[in-house]
Order: sequence, then C-alpha cells, then structure tokens
Amino acid sequence: MASSMLASSSRQALARRSPLFAKSPLVARPATTKSSDALYVPGGPIYKGTVNDPTTFPTPSRVHGSHHWSFERLLSASLIPLTGAAFVTSPSVHPVVDGILAVSLVVHSHIGFDSMLVDYVHPRKFPVIGRVATWTLRAATVGVLVGVYNFNTNDIGLTELISKVWHA
Amino acid sequence: MLKYTTGTTSRLMSHSKIYSLKGGSRSISPLLQKRHASTKSIRTQSLPPSASVDILNKQRLLRPTSPHLAIYKPQLTSVLSIGNRGVGGALSVLLYGSSIAYLFFPGTFDGDYLIELASGLPDYVKYTAKTILAAPLAFHALNGIRHLFWDVGKFMTLRGVYQTGYAVLAGTAVSTIVLVLL
Repeated sequence: MASSMLASSSRQALARRSPLFAKSPLVARPATTKSSDALYVPGGPIYKGTVNDPTTFPTPSRVHGSHHWSFERLLSASLIPLTGAAFVTSPSVHPVVDGILAVSLVVHSHIGFDSMLVDYVHPRKFPVIGRVATWTLRAATVGVLVGVYNFNTNDIGLTELISKVWHA
Repeated sequence: MLKYTTGTTSRLMSHSKIYSLKGGSRSISPLLQKRHASTKSIRTQSLPPSASVDILNKQRLLRPTSPHLAIYKPQLTSVLSIGNRGVGGALSVLLYGSSIAYLFFPGTFDGDYLIELASGLPDYVKYTAKTILAAPLAFHALNGIRHLFWDVGKFMTLRGVYQTGYAVLAGTAVSTIVLVLL
C-alpha cells in the first residue's frame, strides 16, 4: 500500500494541501470536487463521452439470445414439412395450412430482414437510420400479416395461387 | 536603453526585441528571439471539448481505407453464404411486396387476375419466370438445411463445408429442373 510507504508527517502535509491525498490514492474517486463526470484512478482521470469509450454491449437476455436462436432454428426446420404438406394435402385443409404457412413464412422473413439490419445498420453505429429501419421493418411486417390474412380469407389463398399460376 | 514592458507584448514590441538591440542592453539569444516571434504570429481559437469528436469524425472521412471486398478471393464458403442471404432477401421482398400490394390494391392484384396474367404469357417467358422463381427457392431451402446441419454440429470441418456446399449446388440444379418441368 502506497500510503504505508509515506511517512506520517509527509502524509499529513499532503492531506493539508489537497483532500485527494488524505486517503489511499488507489481508490477511484471524483478528480476534483467540482467535476461531475471524471473518475480518478492511478494513471489519470477517466472521462466518459470521448472517442476512447469502450464499445457498449447489450444486456444479456435469454429472450434476445438463446431463446431467439432456438426459435429461429425451429421455425426454419418446420418450414420444410409445412411447404411439403401444403402441396400434397387435399384442398379442404388448405385454409388452415395456408394460414400456418403464411404466418411462418412472414415470421421467417422478418427474422431474416432483422438479422440483415443488425449486421449492416446497427443502431450503435447508425443511431438514426438503424432505429428508423428497424421500426419500418416492424410496420411492414404487420402490413404483410394483414395482407396475407386478407388474401387467404377473401381470395384463393397462397397454395392455390402458386399451384394455379405454376400450371397456368 | 530600451524599455521592455512586461505583461502583454505587442507585435511591435517583439519586433523591437529582435531588431533593435543596442549595445549595452541585455542580449537575447537568437533561438529565443525566433521562437518568441513565431508564437506571436499564431492565432488560436477556443473550442469546447465536444468539438474533438466532430474534428475526429471529419478527419476519419478523409482517411483512405485498405481494399477488402475488392481483393479477397471469392470462395465457395463466402459466395454461398452471401448468396443464401441475397436470395432469401429477394424472395422475402417478393412476399412482402405482393402482400402489401394486395393489402392496398385488392382489386387490381387479386388471385384470378394473376392467374389470367400468367396464362396469357408466351411459353418461353413462362419457363424463364419459373426458373427465376424456382432456383432461388431451391437454393435457399437446401442451404437452409445445410445451416441446420451446422447448428447440430455436423459437417463443421473445411472438408464437410465444401462437400455440403457442392451438394447444395448440385441439388439446386436438379430441383430447379424438376420444379420447372412440374
């Protein structure tokens, strides 16, 4: 400990001169009594808000982490039997299969687009465009869900459309 | 004897310090005179601490960057990966675009109209359109399965990645032909 290395008389002299040296110099404390955002550690004060700030990380959360990953993989895996089922089942089951297939496809697309946004326009680097793009994507996905529901209810439905257009 | 005023020294004063040294007065070394004269001609500007970030960002825009995408050799790994993202994005744009078009213009984009439109096209247009739709779908589906294999830990070697990559390409070709001729 540095404080033990100093003779008691010189420590008192230092303490009289500045309140900083009254305690051990190895403890982080405000640099001056007036400054509000500087921490003093040996080596110099740490100022926040400069270009030397370390990068920020999102708070760990299973919902946005491992659960999101598992959900994405399970959804992608389920799309394979679902598309197969959509084209081999009888037309009477079509409305239900269409509904499930449409929602799964839209959610799969949304997750894909979201990954692209996070990779290319992350809000940490692009604070305005990143956030605008994320919310635009969410609004577009809502619109697509409504549109797909309308199409499946009021019109022939996704599987019917694809098979009819393919064999037109 | 020259009188030197302490405190603020004007340009005139420093000029006189350099050039009008008379005999008997204190001599200033030439080095000190030069330094003293040059600092007097610098104009400084007061900036807030927040300006440092703006100056740095302006500097960064002027800096050159090393080439990266332009010089890295395209390989099966990277090409298939970005290709998977690209075709997935394209198919999703198609899905999103058509759904939003149907949402806002249900009259013009309804199912019967699209079927009629498709049947009226010449054969070669139909085959081209089917290929353009089937190939990305087949590639994305097969590469998706390859990704799912990786997620359970299979084929996670360089050899495995390349073998599955070629298998996906072969499978895409076969599936596209099957789908187009369906």
